[in-house]
Amino acid sequence: MFKKSHPLQSKSEIILRNIVVIAMVIFFTVFLIIPIGIAFAGSFHEWNPLSGTYNFLGLKNYIDVFSSGLFWTSMLNTLIFSVVVIIFRVGLGLGIAYAIYSSLVKYKSFFRAVYYMPVVTPMVAVAFVWKFMYNPQIGTINQIFGLDINWLMNPKTALLAVMIMTIWKDFGYAVVMYMAGLYSLPTDALEAAKVDGANAWQTFRYITLPLLKPMTLFVVITSIISYIQAYVQILIMTEGGPGTTTYLASYIIYDEAFVKYNFGYASALSFVLFVITAVFTWLSFRVSGSQE
Amino acid sequence: MMKKITAMMLMTSLAVSSLAGCGSGSASGENSAAVEVPTEPFGDTIKYDPSVEINDGKDITVELWEWGSDDLFQQAIDGYTAIHPNVTIKLVNNPWEDYWTKLPLALSGENGPAIFNVHNSYHENLINYMAPLEIPLEDLQADFTGVDAHVIDGEVYYIDYGMMTGTVYYNKDMWTAAGLTEADIPKTWDEMREVAKKLTIKDGDKLIQAGLNFNDDFHQNYLLGLNYQLGENLFQEDGKTPNVNSDAMKQVMQMLVDMYEVDGIGSKDFGEKGADSFGQGQSAMVIQWGHYYNTLQTTWSNINFGVFEIPTFDGNPYAYNRYNGESTFGVNKNAPADQQAVAQDFIKYFLANDEIQIAFNLAMSTFPAKKSLAGNEQILANPSLAVLAEHIDHYIWPGSMPSTMETSLKKAGQDIFFNGVDIDTALNEAQENIIRDMQNSTFTSVENLYKYAK
Repeated sequence: MFKKSHPLQSKSEIILRNIVVIAMVIFFTVFLIIPIGIAFAGSFHEWNPLSGTYNFLGLKNYIDVFSSGLFWTSMLNTLIFSVVVIIFRVGLGLGIAYAIYSSLVKYKSFFRAVYYMPVVTPMVAVAFVWKFMYNPQIGTINQIFGLDINWLMNPKTALLAVMIMTIWKDFGYAVVMYMAGLYSLPTDALEAAKVDGANAWQTFRYITLPLLKPMTLFVVITSIISYIQAYVQILIMTEGGPGTTTYLASYIIYDEAFVKYNFGYASALSFVLFVITAVFTWLSFRVSGSQE
Repeated sequence: MMKKITAMMLMTSLAVSSLAGCGSGSASGENSAAVEVPTEPFGDTIKYDPSVEINDGKDITVELWEWGSDDLFQQAIDGYTAIHPNVTIKLVNNPWEDYWTKLPLALSGENGPAIFNVHNSYHENLINYMAPLEIPLEDLQADFTGVDAHVIDGEVYYIDYGMMTGTVYYNKDMWTAAGLTEADIPKTWDEMREVAKKLTIKDGDKLIQAGLNFNDDFHQNYLLGLNYQLGENLFQEDGKTPNVNSDAMKQVMQMLVDMYEVDGIGSKDFGEKGADSFGQGQSAMVIQWGHYYNTLQTTWSNINFGVFEIPTFDGNPYAYNRYNGESTFGVNKNAPADQQAVAQDFIKYFLANDEIQIAFNLAMSTFPAKKSLAGNEQILANPSLAVLAEHIDHYIWPGSMPSTMETSLKKAGQDIFFNGVDIDTALNEAQENIIRDMQNSTFTSVENLYKYAK
């Protein structure tokens, strides 16, 4: 029965399979399951691993999370940040990928590489460079556009400025994903549309876009997961300021765990965020499934 | 052509990527220089006798962890190992960001460093791993100021070798250009504001040169210290409840707001960080702590600067400002007994040795806590220390305050300057945040130990 469903060729293949499976199980157990379990237990404690403090608090950390004004402010910021950045990431990614895919464009590999460069550049470096560009006195953005805006310390522009930087850094990922999707489209469907007299817009709207739906879903879901965890750009560019204007949910976790060493509260926040991420991911699948 | 453009872009990307490079832990200990070996006991009350063998003369190796200034630490190590050639002290440098995570975890195990550099802001994370110093308390008190603030149940785990606080740095060239002389050095805040007005340059409404810049450091260098000038502590009588929405704090905050919005001597939007703006020649005056003296000499060596003591409101303050101590080393209580013995002996050597005390204080621009060095010529040759000498006993150390004191007041100030929140509301919110963050803290203020405490 086993041999029938998994026709391994030799004993050595079976040994190799077992080694790989056991290694993966050990890896995920040690580096994922156990730390998650420790953090979950810690979320019910006053916990500072550096001083050795570990006192049971029951649900107090979770109650504190939901009664914190800063938590709700940061959740709203995270929602705005994620929605705006994902819309632009998907929109720009799809648009530019489609433009590069067009037979009119030469040097496709060059453009694909150019748009992907910011993606492979570390966020820390990009954030520092953009922070410099946003400098009100010597930053290139004010100088080029003749503006006098303190981008990162003005409550009306601070989150926007971080979002623009994030979109610039990340949309190349969607370009590459969509290009992979476009090159794998069935040519017979596109040719059939051409034969039926569909113009370029109709072909894109009724053939290409629906066929790219799985890729769009993939980009959106990975973006949701990624942006709910975003904090590096906040840490470097605004530190959550001015005041608490640009606090994102993950930045509070960083702040509580690694500035205040309040690991119990930070763990409770992490689990709340984990549940929210899971719900959004599930919703995305549901919305996608219902449309099909 | 396209290849050239691609190559240039790749080079640019590489250059940007390299900005992300970060340091890693490293060990050093090979740059020993010839050191004069003392043969007679030295020190004031704490005496170090170089003729006493350590570890019975048998070879022993210990680690000393720190986060910077390798040459300075190596100098102390070289002096000690010249007396005790059987001892090897391996210097391990961890970057500041990593140090405070790695150190407590290392100390909780069996192989942590026997000796480690301490910063009192991480007191709560370290104290459970530290062994008390074996030097008699009365000897420490006799030689050093501020020892009482470090006593825990009759024991001392570390003390301060130096005291760091804020002074005013001014650009001498701008000072001269504004027609000011040494006689114009301000003694009060009113005089300071008038001088700052003369140093401010505008082109219409646009600020070209700020007279005074406190951007990004107003919480550290003004809010957490000037309250003392007005006779109010940072903590209430129980030593645990913050006092940041006090009348004094509101008065200081109002003065800062007025300096920018009424006097126009600076702007929240001019010079992202006051310290950088001064170094870049955009601002004429800043208040910075001692370390800035060395920063100016190394990073912005073209700035012709002078230093004067922080002004006061009425010339007769309760205290001039807050100070913070640069701490001596800690001894790992989990280290083997023989290594702990070396650590204890090394600290005794460090405290008794005036040459090393002077070197450390000059390197950090801290005023010596060792009483016998208060009038030392080398110390007073440093202008940022010389201006402190007259009133050094009129500075208060509040204790190892939790970081929320700084971060909450920084948020409050940003809310006032950038988000349009009124002073009362912002400081009340800061008070609430600090109380929430400190609910599990063991911190107790030592402001009551101030020499002239009311």
